Amino acid sequence: MDHLVKGVDHAAFPTFDPAATVRFYRDVLGFPVVHSICAAGWGPDDHPDFIHFFFDIGNDDRIAFFYYFGVEPFHRLDRGDVYAGFGPEVPMYFVNSRHLAIHVDSEDDLMEYRRRLDVSAWPVEMQVQHETIESIYTHDPNGYLVELTRALRPVTPQEDLDAELTIDALVEVASGPDPTLAKLLTRKAELIVARAADWELARTGQAGR
Amino acid sequence: MTTLYVLDVPENLAVPKVADEDPDVTVRRVGPYFEITSAGPIAVDRRATGCRHAVWYSCVAGLAGARIVQHDKDALRLEPR
Repeated sequence: MDHLVKGVDHAAFPTFDPAATVRFYRDVLGFPVVHSICAAGWGPDDHPDFIHFFFDIGNDDRIAFFYYFGVEPFHRLDRGDVYAGFGPEVPMYFVNSRHLAIHVDSEDDLMEYRRRLDVSAWPVEMQVQHETIESIYTHDPNGYLVELTRALRPVTPQEDLDAELTIDALVEVASGPDPTLAKLLTRKAELIVARAADWELARTGQAGR
Repeated sequence: MTTLYVLDVPENLAVPKVADEDPDVTVRRVGPYFEITSAGPIAVDRRATGCRHAVWYSCVAGLAGARIVQHDKDALRLEPR
């Protein structure tokens, strides 16, 4: 089927601190405000009055926030963000699993954002570089984990094949009992044998035309 | 046969190269993968590959007739299953 979509129109999050949110995204990171909606609450649920506001995150994609007047945070848990809080029983790898990663093209661009964050109230908490990517991380004023990342090399065609085989194996293994990485790797080996040689032949044939 | 598949991307290249130093190990290609086989165990020393951890812990693409008995900062070791 045709792949018709064109990236992220907007990803929306609630905030209880619009002033800090604007400082972080507009004044510290320099993301332009590109849209906002001031809406009186309406409807059967006594919906509060709210502001829906948008920042450009490049590529015409946007991150958006809802600020609801007169609404207080719904939880006071230490872990997580203003949308979802977690108790000490929830490990941090899980709490930090949901995050927004914004792409930059170069090391200079990544370091420019590092400089902007490091002089702000939200300095970079972690910088990670390995063979394929380099990323910086911080939490925004709402507790949302934000990553800025650059690729150290382009993705190769064989990585797309590898991802397809991984996901096909994952769907099978995760649909069965007791999924493990060992089961996935065993199933994936079968898929490699069945499909990888033909994939390369088809690709080489195309390149030769 | 103990069989390990590793995807052919630049940062993985040292894994089949180091594995191939064992005379009992054979490395051949299956599409864009290295197929590393042995009648017995396969061992790869991480430091010999120069792989850093993110690549090291994600370099295994597939396993046939094998189980991983060690995959840590020192080595990747497979035994026949």
